Amino acid sequence: MITTNGDQKSLEDEIFDLERRLQDAKARLNYSKSVVASSTPANDAALHALFLLSDSALPLGSFAFSSGLESYLAHHKPSPPSASQLSSFHTFLRLSLCTLASTALPYVLAGYRHPEDVEALDNDFDASTPCTVARRASVAQGRALLTVWDRSFKAQHSSTTTAASIHNGTDNRQQTAVDAITSFSTTLRTSSHLNVHLAPLWGLVSNILSVPLNDAAYLFLFSHARTVISAAVRASVLGPYQAQAVLASTELKSRIRGLVEEGWDRNIEDAGQSVPVMDLWVGRHEKLYSRIFNS
Amino acid sequence: MSSSSPFAASTSKPGYGSILLSLLPPNTPVLSNVSYQYPLKLVAPDPLPLPEHDQSVPNLPSLIHTVFLLTYGGGIVAGDSINLDVRLRNKTRLILLTQGSTKIFKTADRNVVSRQHMAVNIAPDSALVYLPDPVQPFAQAAFSQSQIYSLEQEAGNLCVCDWVTSGRSARGENWDIHEYRSRNEVWTVDTSTENQGKRRLLLRDNLILDKNGQTGMLLSERMDAYSVFGTLIIRGPIFKSLSQHFLDEFEALPRIGGRNWGDSQQPELTRKEQWRLQRQQQEKANGLIWSAANVRGFVLVKFASREVEGARTFLNNMIKEEGSVLKSFGERAVLCLK
Repeated sequence: MITTNGDQKSLEDEIFDLERRLQDAKARLNYSKSVVASSTPANDAALHALFLLSDSALPLGSFAFSSGLESYLAHHKPSPPSASQLSSFHTFLRLSLCTLASTALPYVLAGYRHPEDVEALDNDFDASTPCTVARRASVAQGRALLTVWDRSFKAQHSSTTTAASIHNGTDNRQQTAVDAITSFSTTLRTSSHLNVHLAPLWGLVSNILSVPLNDAAYLFLFSHARTVISAAVRASVLGPYQAQAVLASTELKSRIRGLVEEGWDRNIEDAGQSVPVMDLWVGRHEKLYSRIFNS
Repeated sequence: MSSSSPFAASTSKPGYGSILLSLLPPNTPVLSNVSYQYPLKLVAPDPLPLPEHDQSVPNLPSLIHTVFLLTYGGGIVAGDSINLDVRLRNKTRLILLTQGSTKIFKTADRNVVSRQHMAVNIAPDSALVYLPDPVQPFAQAAFSQSQIYSLEQEAGNLCVCDWVTSGRSARGENWDIHEYRSRNEVWTVDTSTENQGKRRLLLRDNLILDKNGQTGMLLSERMDAYSVFGTLIIRGPIFKSLSQHFLDEFEALPRIGGRNWGDSQQPELTRKEQWRLQRQQQEKANGLIWSAANVRGFVLVKFASREVEGARTFLNNMIKEEGSVLKSFGERAVLCLK
């Protein structure tokens, strides 16, 4: 086909015009999206739930646990005794997150993805927790979270989901999760088999509260980091401003992000200890002469 | 081919092996099957009579069988895969041993992972003692092993150890491996008619050493200067006093950070207290730390030490002092700990 110069020019003009309009339309779409997105009820609910779960005042009693930090510091006494333990603390924080991601994160993900399996997950997590101290810490916080659900979140959620599920298919899945936690909580009163570990329950509760899985996993690791850092403040390893700096650091951010990505597809069967000495530090917490934490 | 062979098909595959220990009534256990294929090799020396045959207990097995787990060439080469199936029928006792550490040779391609898998079925009233030499993965080795124990109705006795070293320390190797995984699982199988074959996990001890974890540290830094890590898993009435011994000794460990103010007069020490004191001093000298926990019907002992010998001495010393394993299985049970 042969076209004249005039035709070509007009085509080019037309293309230019179309492209400009496309860009314009895209820009308007993005703008309206950002306005709408921030105010859809679904997003609001997720954000609201995220704030609830990330609140350090959430009554899980996490402040009572140092996750092995106290024992670790006792095993690594500086010489002279007055020397700073800051660098050992940083090592510990890395190892602690590494351990948590390899042992507990798969259970958070599984608890979220398969709410109906929560009893089996609880049993398997219990079977995989080799020491009394770690299990005590995990069960104490797990039971606390279940109590928070029962006493504070439940009323809100059972009613809204039943109303919504009538005309919304996606809420069926959430209803399954609510049923799962309700039957779990009921079984707990009659059965001695259940322990209520934190990790699978964290996943399950995040599911019910419509927190996106990615955020739930991130928050699980972040809360752990915050607990350990706050324990370090109380153990006089670092000051409160230093602590905030560690929490705010890009290093911590990219580490948690990396751990979530690494563990995203890991099955619970492949959960395991990646820092074997951690089991010893935590297990030997009981042997400390003086203690300010429960783990 | 339609014509069928008059002989049963060979079930042996490379690296596959099986051990079946059954009971000839009333109380003579026999190794009714020991088969293996290259590179796995099983050696079963003559069984030994029960060291102290207690006539008051009826139906104790009269013989203790031992099987050595070996590999041709004395180690596992990249890409090797070993699969061992062990079955202990009712009222039998088995000792599994190795001859020297299990060496894992380096792999040219880090994605070629050597594997070793052992499945053990333990009937009620039977017992397994598996106290092997440690696994020794050389630099650039990639290895994954699993030991899966199945108990019927939560019964059965077991005393098994799984430990790993940092490599050839004499050549300066210090956890320079690509990857190491070791999984120990204990399951209970429900044999009642209504729940036929339903399995429940009782214990999972899974060690994963690989590049994951976002630590930005070498594997050796993650190990806090220890060269040996191990787990001892004990369960069942036959090992009850051994379990209790570990718990008591853990309880009796001196407090970390405690001080002796010298205000309590040291009384004359009993023989046991003297042994304890000596052992604790040796632990300190060898840089050995350990913990014991009573969980879900198991006693789980975790230990770490600076050198292999420290851990070996600790295990040997603890098991010997308590004595029940030697009494009910004989000296052979602790052959690898000497």
